[in-house]
Amino acid sequence: MKHNVAEGNHRGKLPRDLTGKILPSPDRVTAKGDGKVRFTPFRVQVSKLAPVPRAPACAPKKWADIPRPAGSALTEVPMLRVGKRIRISTLSFLLCFLSFLSIAFPSHVHCKLLLDLENPNMAKMPIAVPDFVPQGAGALNGRELARIIRNDLYLTGLFDIVESSPPNPQNPADPPDFDAWSQTGAQALILGRFQVRGDEWVLEAMLYDVALKKLELGKRFSGRINDHRIMIHKFGDRVMEKLTNIPGCFTTQIAFVSDGQSREIFTMDFDGHNLRQLTQTGSINLSPEWSPDGRGIIFTSYLNRKPDLWALDFASLRPYVISARPGLNASGRYSSDGKNIALSMSFNGTPNIFIITPQGNIIKRLTSGRGNDISPTWSPDGSAVAYVSDQAGTPQIYIMPVNGGEARRLTLQGNYNTDPKWSPRGDFLAFTARIEGRFQICTIKPDGKDLRVLTKTGSNRDPTWSPDGRMIAFQSDRDGKKLIYVMDARGETQVPVSPVTGKAPAWSRTGR
Amino acid sequence: MSSRYLIQGMTVLFVFLILASGCARKIVRPDAVPQPGFVGPQVGGPVLEHELQVVQTNLQPIYFDYDGYTLSPEAQAALQHNAEILKRAPQVAVVAEGHCDERGTAEYNLALGDRRARSSVEYLATAGIAPNRLSTVSYGSELPVDPAHNEGAWAKNRRVYLRVSR
Repeated sequence: MKHNVAEGNHRGKLPRDLTGKILPSPDRVTAKGDGKVRFTPFRVQVSKLAPVPRAPACAPKKWADIPRPAGSALTEVPMLRVGKRIRISTLSFLLCFLSFLSIAFPSHVHCKLLLDLENPNMAKMPIAVPDFVPQGAGALNGRELARIIRNDLYLTGLFDIVESSPPNPQNPADPPDFDAWSQTGAQALILGRFQVRGDEWVLEAMLYDVALKKLELGKRFSGRINDHRIMIHKFGDRVMEKLTNIPGCFTTQIAFVSDGQSREIFTMDFDGHNLRQLTQTGSINLSPEWSPDGRGIIFTSYLNRKPDLWALDFASLRPYVISARPGLNASGRYSSDGKNIALSMSFNGTPNIFIITPQGNIIKRLTSGRGNDISPTWSPDGSAVAYVSDQAGTPQIYIMPVNGGEARRLTLQGNYNTDPKWSPRGDFLAFTARIEGRFQICTIKPDGKDLRVLTKTGSNRDPTWSPDGRMIAFQSDRDGKKLIYVMDARGETQVPVSPVTGKAPAWSRTGR
Repeated sequence: MSSRYLIQGMTVLFVFLILASGCARKIVRPDAVPQPGFVGPQVGGPVLEHELQVVQTNLQPIYFDYDGYTLSPEAQAALQHNAEILKRAPQVAVVAEGHCDERGTAEYNLALGDRRARSSVEYLATAGIAPNRLSTVSYGSELPVDPAHNEGAWAKNRRVYLRVSR
């Protein structure tokens, strides 16, 4: 397919500055009675957007072939819930760059940039994220800002970050030199420019398809400087949605237990920033688990000198008991609808798996064997619970249907398989296996097939899935200290993220 | 009268021999726990404090094999010894604290520690200690008595510690 378009001067007109003159007006922010800031969608009218001369004529056939809801890039409603005073305006407009002169290079004839996540042999997408460009002086550093989203994308294991970068265009409002970017190998390009005004800042971030020389996504954010990380994470979520059809989870958090002199529960952003101490009890606290709505956690605590199941609402920050029966009340896990908690209790003599309400009332006893049963994990549809039992002599993982039936042993290899965690996508369970005296993170399909060992160095334990099922956080001592690591679900990229030693990470199911 | 003095003398001698023989296991005193503030009930009260301390000092830890919660002959001997001491102090209750070494995963270790404590308590009950004097708590691998990462430390950490209370 050849496009003999005369000249590349039909380049899309990007918003030229940060004053918003040619941008659609930002989403309206309304403060409701509860003080939370809500966002109402900006009604996008295509005609109001930057005029694109002869745009329809320039649409490449491949691009046009891809079915999309009309105006989908324009009417995206940001899924903002928590961030304060962040405004996002959609500045993306279907600018078709007419400069398809370089079609002579066959490699430039391709489909929309999209990572096929179902393809096991999927190649990583080379993506370039040059330092963001400041417009005027300010407290923020463009290199640090770009590093945030670069790191987000790197941690997914889906991207190769292209390091080299051609010089910035003389005029920041000019579109990038796609040919130069193409020569770096980058298929996708993220550019950002920003302006600081007092304690607020404005960011314009763009995602380009380098080969098609096309703007895929453009967002304008404004908010407090203190929220700059979450604003960039939110753009990263949108980039993931564009490139994988599934929004990213870069605004999610990980709770964990400190592993030093105390056993207090901390939270941090998934990339290790924004560390906060959640409990200050002076007692042992273990096994944090987020409520599915993100409003609190449950955890095992020795506040009353024995392992009881406690809950902590973020609103009140006051812990309260859920289950304090004699013996163990440990490893509580919410079902994905938040209506049930599976946990291990030993008031009957041996630790068995029970299902209780979030108020602590027993719904049913799930296991009754003579082995030690612990560490339940729900299937995403709530129909089954996997757990650890040593009923056969060694700790192994079993799956029990919730509404009656026999337990089925899942792990058949090795003599120590613990910590099962069912992927939110349902396709795998992650668990900890003891292999040659060390612990390693493995995944296995619910039918027992496709066992993969994802870690190799040091001892690695306590896997927890990201809510999109694409990443796993875990504890590793491979570098001497026991830190929380994040890896992609294939184990290709494994990076320590926690700024302090920790264990028992639990990934939140909602973003900030 | 003389027999009473004899019993008291025998007890003192017995205690002395245990302490002096060097075969006594290392006893974890509340103030020797690496992380104070984590430990169980702190006993108080001026009257029985000394007696409690004597009983506490004479109770032996029960040690376990790796990944195991069955009672070895040595563990049974220690429990038998502990049962005799507890029989002589009927006003004393004990909490059996189950511990594991670090070579396990935390949640399974909680279950394992619970089972170790329970098997110890069951032995004591069989040996004649009233069940209402016995309770259990599992600390998993959260409170190692020896934080080192070697066989010696692990062997010391796989234990049930009987903590006295009133």
